[in-house]
Amino acid sequence: MILWCYDGTFEGFLSLVHESYIHKTIPDRITADEITPNLLDERQWIETDDAIARRVAASLNERFSKETLQRIKHTFLCDDSTPERDLLLYIRLGFKSPRALEDFAHPIVYAIHGYERRLLSTLHKMNAYLRFEELEDKTLYARIAPPRNVLPLMGGHFRTRLRGENFIIHDTARSIALLHREGESSFVRIESFETPTLSVEEGSFRRLWKTFFDSVAIRSRLNPTLQRSHVPLKYRTYMSEFWDNG
Amino acid sequence: MTIDEKLTILTDSAKYDVSCSSSGSVRTLDFGGVGSVANGGICHAYSADGRCISLLKILFTNYCIYDCAYCVNRIGNDIRRAAFTPEEVAGLTINFYRRNMIEGLFLSSGIISSEDHTMRLILKTLRLLRHTYRFNGYIHVKLIPGASEDLIIETLTLADRVSSNIELPSSQSLALLAPDKTREKVLQPLTMAKNYSLEHQKHPIGMSTQLIIGATPESDLEILRLSTSLYKKTMLKRVYYSAYIPINNVKNLPSLGTPPPLLREHRLYQADWLIRFYGFGYNEIVDEAAPNLDERFDPKLSWALRNLHLFPIEINTADRETLLRIPGLGVRGVDKILKARRFRPLNVYDLETMKISLKRLRYFVTVGGKLLIDRSMDYQQIQTELLSLPKPPPSAQPTLFEYFYPTVMGEL
Repeated sequence: MILWCYDGTFEGFLSLVHESYIHKTIPDRITADEITPNLLDERQWIETDDAIARRVAASLNERFSKETLQRIKHTFLCDDSTPERDLLLYIRLGFKSPRALEDFAHPIVYAIHGYERRLLSTLHKMNAYLRFEELEDKTLYARIAPPRNVLPLMGGHFRTRLRGENFIIHDTARSIALLHREGESSFVRIESFETPTLSVEEGSFRRLWKTFFDSVAIRSRLNPTLQRSHVPLKYRTYMSEFWDNG
Repeated sequence: MTIDEKLTILTDSAKYDVSCSSSGSVRTLDFGGVGSVANGGICHAYSADGRCISLLKILFTNYCIYDCAYCVNRIGNDIRRAAFTPEEVAGLTINFYRRNMIEGLFLSSGIISSEDHTMRLILKTLRLLRHTYRFNGYIHVKLIPGASEDLIIETLTLADRVSSNIELPSSQSLALLAPDKTREKVLQPLTMAKNYSLEHQKHPIGMSTQLIIGATPESDLEILRLSTSLYKKTMLKRVYYSAYIPINNVKNLPSLGTPPPLLREHRLYQADWLIRFYGFGYNEIVDEAAPNLDERFDPKLSWALRNLHLFPIEINTADRETLLRIPGLGVRGVDKILKARRFRPLNVYDLETMKISLKRLRYFVTVGGKLLIDRSMDYQQIQTELLSLPKPPPSAQPTLFEYFYPTVMGEL
């Protein structure tokens, strides 16, 4: 089995696409994780090369529609699974014939649509279930731990919505954060952090929200199964209404 | 009284209003401050009964001069009463909104001292939110039947959606159980809103109403006929159905402890969906011979079983409208098929690749000319087989927000 390893960055993946064409090879498996290969595996490290990555990106831009490019990006962000090999096959299929990517019943094309659908569904849930807390200086601070890497896609929604506000969205599972200050956004890696001080009003709004959340349920219609199918437990970590004591 | 106590009381008395949608709003106004409206709608949480929480849904007050038999807030009831101030409602809305807990406000109210007085209090809250806080999120308010035209019109310029609940589906039931209301009185602010909006606004304002199911003897035929006319003539965006939960002991209503007819409510929502998005007429779904929906099957399946002569339908050639009528195919399934067959004729494996379930579909289609069942179709056999299929877990309402592509779902 041919096993290709790379550094997990998008540039790394594009270098790998290039490698696949140069060596006319499609690996059996692509991974960014540290794994112990078994004896029969032929393991190869693919070095990330920014210049090559830029060239591959340019030819993708030239060859594919805007929707297809987005779909590639969305699929790549599905870090709960290893979509890289499917994505490589999808790109190769598209280079052979862009029209083939419209064949919705093609297993690879359908699989890629599936990755994208799951990613967008996580994004939608995260935009909905994220909760900000107000810090001392009025900055809004949210912690998230989404099952897929959706933080890179969350900026636009909250920038439009929270006009004039400063906010931070912190992905604690991936140790990255989106900072938005005075109209400027940036992504940073969070090596270590101290729990920030909340504004004095924060506790009372958390309690009021819990009051509302509890009062709005109709007792004769209780349906925790349905509730869990809409808000799976993994999303509840940072949702204060699900905490027992507000 | 603390704001916490007020919030408990005024949420409790607002929760029987099922409307909570924040979707499908086209915005032309910009009040300049915090907030945006998402076209597909966003549910920020789900309460313990599994219902979507999208808006801060509260009553301004539960003091009421009316005596509607089905309502928890009727004048004769001995319950705790409270009233917010406009400042309190605006403060809660803004602060919940900034923390991403809600999409906006749903403000309804009991009638305190008079219709105009109540409408003025609501309007004062809206002015505060829109002009002082420059709040740009979603606002849905109840128009108070009987309020003056100038108050209603100013409300239209500040809200995203307005509604007025008919509650009881026939004039007889209204006369019997809600002596202070008539259908004309309830519809009057909506008609006023429609006329003003068509004349003065670029995008007509969204309007909705609610019907209580199971409190009074109306059949599903009467209910769906009424909804159809509300969609067509009054141009409502949504009609909500609410399974009646007995709250008061009144002789003309189901007694306390009668379980709410949740399955019937669910079937009505499915039928409503068929009328709005699948091209069905209400009289295809129910008729004089069978005026109520079959609770065993969803309305599309029961329509198909009554019209077996129209099947099987060929997946590769049928047009969109025809495909939409096949049980087991929804809007998304149909779009997948249309997209894929542009490329080449589809076979059964292609359907499997696209994860289109054949569970119900197989009785009603041919794929490339081939039937998927090996006998000629017989109503009894199909019905028996379908009834023996494992049941999906019960849900109280269709899960509207699973599909957040507005282009696929249309306006929710």
